[in-house]
Amino acid sequence: MEWTIVLNNGFLENPPDVLKFLGRFHPMVVHLPIGFLLMAGISQLATRWPKFYTLKPYTPYLWALGAWSAFFSVVFGYLLSLSGDYDTDTLFWHQWSGIALLALSTGCYLLFKSQFRLSAYITWVPVVLVVVLLMYTGHLGGNLTHGSTYLLEYAPNTLRNVAGLPPKKEPRKKVAVIDSADIFLDLVVPIMERKCVSCHNEGKRKGDLLLTSHNHILAGGESNETVLPGNPEGSELFRRITLPETHDDFMPSEGKPPLSDEEVEIIGFWIQAGALPNGYVTELPANDAILPTVIHYLGLDRNTVFNKIPPVPNAADIDSLQNKGFLMNRLMEDKHFYEANFSLSGRSFKPSDAQMLIALKEQLVWLNLANAAVKDVHLEKIGQLENLVRLDLRGNPITDVGIAHLLTLKNLESLNLFGTQVSDGVFELLPQFPKLKTVYLWQTPTNDSLALQFQKAHKNITIVYEREGF
Amino acid sequence: MGKYDHFMQRPLSRREMLGICKGGFGALAFTSLFGGLSLGCSRSATTTSSSGLYVGPHYMPRAKNIIFLYMDGGVSQVDSFDPKPRLAKEHGEDPKQKFKVDATQFDNVGKILKSPWEFNQYGECGMPVSELFPHIATCVDDIALIRSMTSNFPEHTNANYFLHTGSGIQGRPSMGSWMTYGLGSENKNIPGYVVLDGGLIPPGGLDNFKNGFLPASYQASVLRAGAEPIANIKPQENITALQEKKLGFIKNIDNSLIGKMGQVDAVESAISNYELAYQMQSSIPELTEFSAESKATKKLYGMDSDDPHTRGYAAQCLLARRLVERGVRFIELTCPKVEADRWDQHSNLIEGHERNAHAVDQPIAGLLKDLKSRGLLEETLVVWTGEFGRTPFAQGTNGRDHNPSAFSMWMAGAGIKGGTIFGKTDEYGYRVIENEVTIHDLHATIMHLLGIDHERLTFRFGGRDMRLTDVHGHVMKDVLA
Repeated sequence: MEWTIVLNNGFLENPPDVLKFLGRFHPMVVHLPIGFLLMAGISQLATRWPKFYTLKPYTPYLWALGAWSAFFSVVFGYLLSLSGDYDTDTLFWHQWSGIALLALSTGCYLLFKSQFRLSAYITWVPVVLVVVLLMYTGHLGGNLTHGSTYLLEYAPNTLRNVAGLPPKKEPRKKVAVIDSADIFLDLVVPIMERKCVSCHNEGKRKGDLLLTSHNHILAGGESNETVLPGNPEGSELFRRITLPETHDDFMPSEGKPPLSDEEVEIIGFWIQAGALPNGYVTELPANDAILPTVIHYLGLDRNTVFNKIPPVPNAADIDSLQNKGFLMNRLMEDKHFYEANFSLSGRSFKPSDAQMLIALKEQLVWLNLANAAVKDVHLEKIGQLENLVRLDLRGNPITDVGIAHLLTLKNLESLNLFGTQVSDGVFELLPQFPKLKTVYLWQTPTNDSLALQFQKAHKNITIVYEREGF
Repeated sequence: MGKYDHFMQRPLSRREMLGICKGGFGALAFTSLFGGLSLGCSRSATTTSSSGLYVGPHYMPRAKNIIFLYMDGGVSQVDSFDPKPRLAKEHGEDPKQKFKVDATQFDNVGKILKSPWEFNQYGECGMPVSELFPHIATCVDDIALIRSMTSNFPEHTNANYFLHTGSGIQGRPSMGSWMTYGLGSENKNIPGYVVLDGGLIPPGGLDNFKNGFLPASYQASVLRAGAEPIANIKPQENITALQEKKLGFIKNIDNSLIGKMGQVDAVESAISNYELAYQMQSSIPELTEFSAESKATKKLYGMDSDDPHTRGYAAQCLLARRLVERGVRFIELTCPKVEADRWDQHSNLIEGHERNAHAVDQPIAGLLKDLKSRGLLEETLVVWTGEFGRTPFAQGTNGRDHNPSAFSMWMAGAGIKGGTIFGKTDEYGYRVIENEVTIHDLHATIMHLLGIDHERLTFRFGGRDMRLTDVHGHVMKDVLA
């Protein structure tokens, strides 16, 4: 009578929080029957050998532990099913095989507790059944939580064939240049896979939404405005990832790692640009604002020099440089990239020093020759240090002629010419350094207004040509 | 030697011994290893290549040097970098009616106290800064502001030890010691870890700058402001040869002691410290000689200010730049002794904070601009922080008490994403509500920028591998460029 009232009040549709809370213990509690029942089965098997006869009196307790923990798993599992959005078909089989497992393990307990003797072969039937059912139920549970493709995701293709799965997807080739970056395949899909698909997959379908393919994303879930091409603000998906993290509707939910600012920006741009299933970012309209973000997100702005593996330098080369006053610092543990610092030597730079540096041209990425009386002619040799990323020439009597010798430095990012004699000719040369990011020109004969003009025309190079005062 | 053996520097482990001896030139490597260690402050790549032991950054460093601007006493976050309009709205109301008030040091909780200073937005990033720091405000596009710092200690001494050594109890190595231990120093004539004493030694004293269980060569050298930065830096002997003879004699005795006792850190460090001190007789006067600096540069730092404390701190900031140019690894500046207390305004907030701010604001901004224009900010990390923050409610009527639950700090320079604001406090600026950053996180981030993995820079002491961050610390990726 009371039960009918409870049921009629929509108890099942809207279970109280405390029950949902208990339900969340299911994934933890289920591991107990798995352990106990396997142990009970193994002990039962072991008692066939004389060595393990002593186990015999304990097996009923193991079965009892297994049965009780199975009972709690079933109860919590039922509570979890009230709140979870799980694939109903899998859930049905998981639920009933779990209940069957409870019944069988209880049966085993009663059977082995009693003195009743069955023939040895028939005894094995319930034990084997329990173990098989345990595996089956557990497997379904795993499918519910992680998705049905989880287990075999990295399995060898032969095994995947047997299971009726398509061969593993070849991972898309890493984007090497921005022109080959596809808005959906190289950006949106990896973001979805990293941050969204663990809940919105074929097995779990939270909010009835699948984010595993372009069709599914556009089809939407409970909301049919998940993605409105051209209208990010109106798209439910975009709204949810941009809410404050504390908001109830915020995605990803349950404290899973949120999308980074860059990822949100990329998703927003993708929807704005029409939510296409493919297309090069560089060919989409109005991509000016997003390109720097994409370049950074894909790591295309990182200098490729550091992908190289320089050989171990000759210790004698390093020693002789040190003897000349160079401080030789290795810059990382796993590769032999070096910094050479001559600025504290108190000596003037000599052509022979440059010659010695060339012996380490594969290893040298930072070079500090500040205040060392470096002359234009010396820079011819420095221009051969092709891996240089940072070059500090502050306080040396060098001119534009010397800088022209450096144009071979294709990886140079930072060039310090503070207090040198370079003049306006340098503005012709600077754009020819492909990777250049920062140039220091304060206290040089260069013209400030030309520097400012250059800065406006070249957004990717920062020119520091003055010292701000107060 | 007895039961305190484990406090001695540890001998080589089997693994290290094998590492050193492999390749069949063991004896040679031995001398070079100990030669390197006895130099102490000059561990460099040579030690690496011939001994097989790796010394240096774990991964590509962003910064080579650190300038640590320590704001002694705890700057009030709601009066400097974390504006809270709600304080003005509820000014004079009882804080205990509004939120849970923790025990404060002086248990003299007054009313909610609005900031006496206006905030304005600056730079392209629009970062709000209060009127206290008009000069630093012009540098915000190079600054990453962290508003969600917390400390574990509400009292100066412990909080200072925590900030400087990663532990609230004195005796652990200071962060500067860890960093010079990890990377060595580039200059053989100046210590790798220098504290520029602006007039105030922080509560907790010199233990904030000690080497703890690390070899004694890694302790800070404190340089005072003024004509003689280091006591007895002028030789007492009239003839150089006489001094050299004396030092040679001492070194002989020390070496014979090492011959008897084995490799003892205390003796080795004494030898290397004598050697360094000898070099400093010429290097320090050269360092503190500002005649080569232009008038414009001195003016930029505020060396022409009417305020003697601004002038004093300006000289220290300029000295910091000169130390960076000379390859000194870790430089800490302590605060000048203004006519009010350190930043510790339990009363007279307005007067105290204004005097302290006036002393440091222009020199710090000048330092940032000078470093930037010379290209040095690219390889120098500048860190500005106190040991904790202050309460958004008054202590008495016109002061603020200690608040370790939230404070603001900033970093600028190498590897820092300028113009960022990270972390969030509640509407009163009393507690952190988003992205809490602990002191351990700060240490981990500083080390990360130097190319050091804070989990791997260790020193075996008392039976375990000690770290600056102990078992804590996460790198603040969000503020990195």
